[in-house]
Amino acid sequence: MIYGDKNTGIIVQGATGKQGSFHINLMNEYARSVGGAGVLAGVTPGKGGREVCGVPVYDSVKEALAEHDATASVLFVPAGAAGDSIMEAAHAGIETIVAITEHIPVHDAMKAIGYAETIGCTVIGPNCPGLLSPGELKLGIMPTHLYSRGHVGVISRSGTLTYEVVDELTRAGIGQSTVIGIGGDPIIGQTFADALARFEEDPQTRAVVLIGEVGGNLEEEGVRSTDLPVVAYIAGVTAPPNKRMGHAGAIISGGEGDAKSKIMRLKAMGVDVASRPSEIPGIIKSLL
Amino acid sequence: MKLLEFEAKELFKQHGIQVPKGILISDHEEAVLNLRKVGPEVVVKAQVDVGGRGKAGGVLMANTDTAVLAARELFARKIKGVKVARVLIEEHLEIQHEYYVSITMDRSTKQPVVLFADIGGVDIEETARKNPDAIRKVSFTPLLRNIPRFLLRELIRDAPSEVGETINKLYHVFCDRDALLAEINPLVTTPQGVYAADAKLIVDDNALTRQEIAVNRDLTRREREAERHGFSYVELDGSIGVIGNGAGLTMSTLDLIDHFGGKAANFLDVGGGADKDRVKYAVELVADMPAVKVIIVNLLGGITRCDEVARGIIEAGVDQPVIVRLAGTNEKEGRELLAGHGYKMLGSMDEAVRAAVEVTA
Repeated sequence: MIYGDKNTGIIVQGATGKQGSFHINLMNEYARSVGGAGVLAGVTPGKGGREVCGVPVYDSVKEALAEHDATASVLFVPAGAAGDSIMEAAHAGIETIVAITEHIPVHDAMKAIGYAETIGCTVIGPNCPGLLSPGELKLGIMPTHLYSRGHVGVISRSGTLTYEVVDELTRAGIGQSTVIGIGGDPIIGQTFADALARFEEDPQTRAVVLIGEVGGNLEEEGVRSTDLPVVAYIAGVTAPPNKRMGHAGAIISGGEGDAKSKIMRLKAMGVDVASRPSEIPGIIKSLL
Repeated sequence: MKLLEFEAKELFKQHGIQVPKGILISDHEEAVLNLRKVGPEVVVKAQVDVGGRGKAGGVLMANTDTAVLAARELFARKIKGVKVARVLIEEHLEIQHEYYVSITMDRSTKQPVVLFADIGGVDIEETARKNPDAIRKVSFTPLLRNIPRFLLRELIRDAPSEVGETINKLYHVFCDRDALLAEINPLVTTPQGVYAADAKLIVDDNALTRQEIAVNRDLTRREREAERHGFSYVELDGSIGVIGNGAGLTMSTLDLIDHFGGKAANFLDVGGGADKDRVKYAVELVADMPAVKVIIVNLLGGITRCDEVARGIIEAGVDQPVIVRLAGTNEKEGRELLAGHGYKMLGSMDEAVRAAVEVTA
């Protein structure tokens, strides 16, 4: 639990949409099961005064925070408005923003994250599944039944691949401290290095699984910054250059960010790199 | 999306960057009429989306008399396998000095980054390798409308101040046009001022609608179809069709196929929450590739429901064998449906991929 705990009060921006209301229910279900605070309010401009899934809706984050003691926001706002909503939450004093929204124009993300971080706010995502600290806190859309509580941190650029790895870990009897999806876009708030710094301060976390993919070099930067034992898995060994493999950030351009050289660099730093997801539990066991 | 040179130059011009006088033609006859407007000495350039175009013979020097011939030559030729549909004929500039400038995003600092070199021209990558100090780099907060002057001075050093002004205009293009990359190589000084002799602009796909830039260049029929359904889709050259949900899991499935000695025919991510119809379209789309001998469907249901996926697969009813790995929401219902129709289901990703590779071995 590195970005919050049971007591973290949550607001949902884009609360009245299909995704927003669906996940308010699931987040609150999880909060109830662990005795947590859960989602206290929703925000959708123009829909203040309503109620959705048992929580009151406000026109702005500022109005919601005047009535509720929330420090985190989960964002389901449509792509075109999401950059503005991130800045709104940061401006109103939210400490941690999880931006689930995909397809946000990257200039919007860059400016909104730049603004939020300037005033000391933490942004996770965009284009991410959020985070789950088993037994404590769910901020986002992760399917809770796969998770178990334990000592391994997981940081990932990909949603479903995270679930795959968490499923492997749980079935092998390895619990997780916090699982965080940092997002598949070229510009994201929390990076591997940022999340690893938090894991280092977390007494519960003893090792970390880092799930990366083609594009950029955030994985290498993250590993370089930490003393924790790390197991890495990098997707996209077979990805052709200059093709976008689903994620906007998963593109090999100008020879930068291909999986093979990324894996080589990680190995040179002394990191164990799994060649497929099913190898990860075995390697983790050898490190713990 | 990467714009072609003439499209990028049109946008540069709108932001006050000087570009050479030129005409765009789509067959060599058109050239005859307008050539005189361009100038006695001209450069004839194929408008194709390939790197290293000059070295591949896509740029020819000519004059008013030989330009038509040069254009005809380019129309008859393929540049790195790409047919030339359009040619740009530009005035020949009286170049005094060539520079290199590009603006992109630095993923680590999450800020715009400007790269500048005193040496421009074709071999910038080579220059960067041999003499990394030749390329200077500044990054700064994206919240500013202009590149701060002190950073511009740091960047260009002894180059004329007009070069710095052009770089700032290029930054406006970068921001206003939602670019992932804006590049001028070479940026040239001439007695008539500073010019963008070439232009490269890659626009964020997620911003294409607000930029009102047309998409769909050079897509295959299936790629167009995939785009219409909102799938992420890339064609490859193997015989195992791949459908997954989530970019990472789908990419990982491709890697596993390679790991077990097979070759994937495609990458297809159906996205989150795919219903019966989406899955059906996806299976049909992949089955339509003549090279596909077997299809693997690897789905991990969170929002996506396994029973919907199963219905989609059954309704598609394609000729090729379909190997299914389903896990997550409504897994049991999905499995029962598929079992009733004789589909092969496997519990883990490893097993499913192995089975698919065996079919093609």
